Amino acid sequence: MVETLNSLMHGFAVAFQPEVMMYAFFGCIIGTLVGMMPGLGPLAGISLLLPATFGLNPIIAIVLLAGVYYGAMYGGSTTSILMRIPGEAASVMTCVDGYAMTQQGRAGPALAIAAIGSFVAGTLGVLGLMLLAPTLASFALRFGPPEYTALLLVGLFVLAYMSGGSMLKTLAMAVFGLLLGMIGIDVMSGYTRFSFGITELGDGVGIVPVAVGLFGISEILMTAGQSDPPKVQRPTLRQLVPTASDLRQSAAPIMRGSLLGFMIGIIPGSAHVISSFVSYGLERRLSKHPERFGNGAIEGVAGPESANNAAATGAFVPMLALGIPTGPVTAVMLAAIMVHGILPGPMLIEQQPELFWGFVASMYVGNVVLLILNLPMVGVFVSLLRIPYAYLYPCILAFCILGCYSVSNSTMDVWIMLVMGVVGYALRKFGFDLAPVALGLVLGPMLELSLRQALAMSGGDYGIFLDRPIALTMLGFAVLLLLFAVKPLIFKGKDWRSKVGLDEPADS
Amino acid sequence: MTESQRPQGGLRSDQVSGLILSALALYVGWLNREFPVGTLAEPGPGYVPMLLAIGLGLIGLLIAVLGSRSSALSGMVWPEAIRALVIMTACVLATLALERIGYRITVAALLVFFFGVVERKSWWMTATVAVAFSLASHYVVGVLLKVPLPRGPWGF
Repeated sequence: MVETLNSLMHGFAVAFQPEVMMYAFFGCIIGTLVGMMPGLGPLAGISLLLPATFGLNPIIAIVLLAGVYYGAMYGGSTTSILMRIPGEAASVMTCVDGYAMTQQGRAGPALAIAAIGSFVAGTLGVLGLMLLAPTLASFALRFGPPEYTALLLVGLFVLAYMSGGSMLKTLAMAVFGLLLGMIGIDVMSGYTRFSFGITELGDGVGIVPVAVGLFGISEILMTAGQSDPPKVQRPTLRQLVPTASDLRQSAAPIMRGSLLGFMIGIIPGSAHVISSFVSYGLERRLSKHPERFGNGAIEGVAGPESANNAAATGAFVPMLALGIPTGPVTAVMLAAIMVHGILPGPMLIEQQPELFWGFVASMYVGNVVLLILNLPMVGVFVSLLRIPYAYLYPCILAFCILGCYSVSNSTMDVWIMLVMGVVGYALRKFGFDLAPVALGLVLGPMLELSLRQALAMSGGDYGIFLDRPIALTMLGFAVLLLLFAVKPLIFKGKDWRSKVGLDEPADS
Repeated sequence: MTESQRPQGGLRSDQVSGLILSALALYVGWLNREFPVGTLAEPGPGYVPMLLAIGLGLIGLLIAVLGSRSSALSGMVWPEAIRALVIMTACVLATLALERIGYRITVAALLVFFFGVVERKSWWMTATVAVAFSLASHYVVGVLLKVPLPRGPWGF
């Protein structure tokens, strides 16, 4: 422990160097802006900045890129809350209650709680990264394809069981998302599936155009014909401060989201996306009034926002301790380190203590910078709502087109966004929840690959899922969830949704 | 659900949406015939899509079967449909134009259409906001963030 504190002090000595602090500050600002811009997201932001880091020293490079990453997690919540457009995929769940709060004239508290939750989660996440990295990373290292398959199935069942609306509709949307994830080249066989001869679809359907289309474009289409466009809130600075009740209601979800997000974050995959979904489901499940969720429950903002920030930090555990990227963002960041001739892996902490501890310390500093930036600037973000809707929605549309085009400099992503906008519009008219589509799209390729890899490992024997304790435990949990989910179909009126008036037994 | 939302007879919204999902599942299954399904022990590229198509089809049918208490299809209102169609048409045209006439002109034209034609704002305001947004967004994304945005045949 003393050694850890000594190392941390050494790290702070590095992080407080003016040049490092300046780049951490820039990274946070760029990240916040990138997170706010629909379609850009942390991956695009980091990818765009990567070439600019080649001339920097490795500590500054990674501090800058990390600032963009967790800055985007903060910024992503802003457009979700204010405009129901997720700046990045992990903010999808924040749209639900965050935007509902905005519609109720409570955008300020929602933004403030998102910033506070992100700060607490980010700080606790760094603490976890510092103290628990070796142990947790070694646990995550035990995960092979069977465990991933089981984990992803658990994720889907959790989503279905925790859904507030019709379970069948939620499942249908999850399967629809999984099917979207099947588009593109099958990595195990080389077949190009469901691409309709369109070369660009060989790479699959990206989460960004789908999310922007489903949540952003469909919202604009839904509000298009309203004679009375969405009312804009003009809060004073005082109204931006959350009430004692808001803080009390948010405290436990923030802590739970932080813990949950960090734990999920160390597992490879789109952890920060999954963590926000799971956190939202958990908070709704634990709430004494789950019917408030979807209608502006502040816990629905606090939990997912904390979870996705903690997951972003958790993702650094295997990256720094083991040299394993947990997703595309950390893969790009590892590339930034390797450009400087540094070999990531278990020896990194020993061989490059300045880099590791300087990075850890800079994250403490970065979180404080982001809190200071975001809380006073909440008013600046809220002032976006002062723009008349007649001016706002065309600009949002243009931003959506720009953001989706920027992902891969291809109009294909813009086309996908437009198609998904129409699909989202139709689905919303028919009362379907759109969030499971986004999750299904992310999980689909991972689930298929891990399933087939697991079977390849076992020579086609499904017993591999029962032979491995972690996979068996998770599958047991999945079966339990499935039984609970099927229960209301057999015993009508016994589901928790029907008890709280969220859904009708007939179609639950 | 109120009684007014449940008129007697007629198709229900869940029945229609469930059947559409089942039809989509059938279509996916039909497309999937091109890919080897493999075996249970050795799944091919068509295996998981086939399972998903079956799953979607069954869930769609269940939604349709259990959807008799959902709101009537005839009761659904689409007041925003025409405006939505106009918005989508403009976006489609903008997407077609994006790589042909460049980002700045496309976005400026798109905004002029929305502000001036759809929302009937004053022409000086329309022109100012459209041009300012187009140039500013290009500067931030294209110049500062160095994202290569499309240029037209005139070089901008």
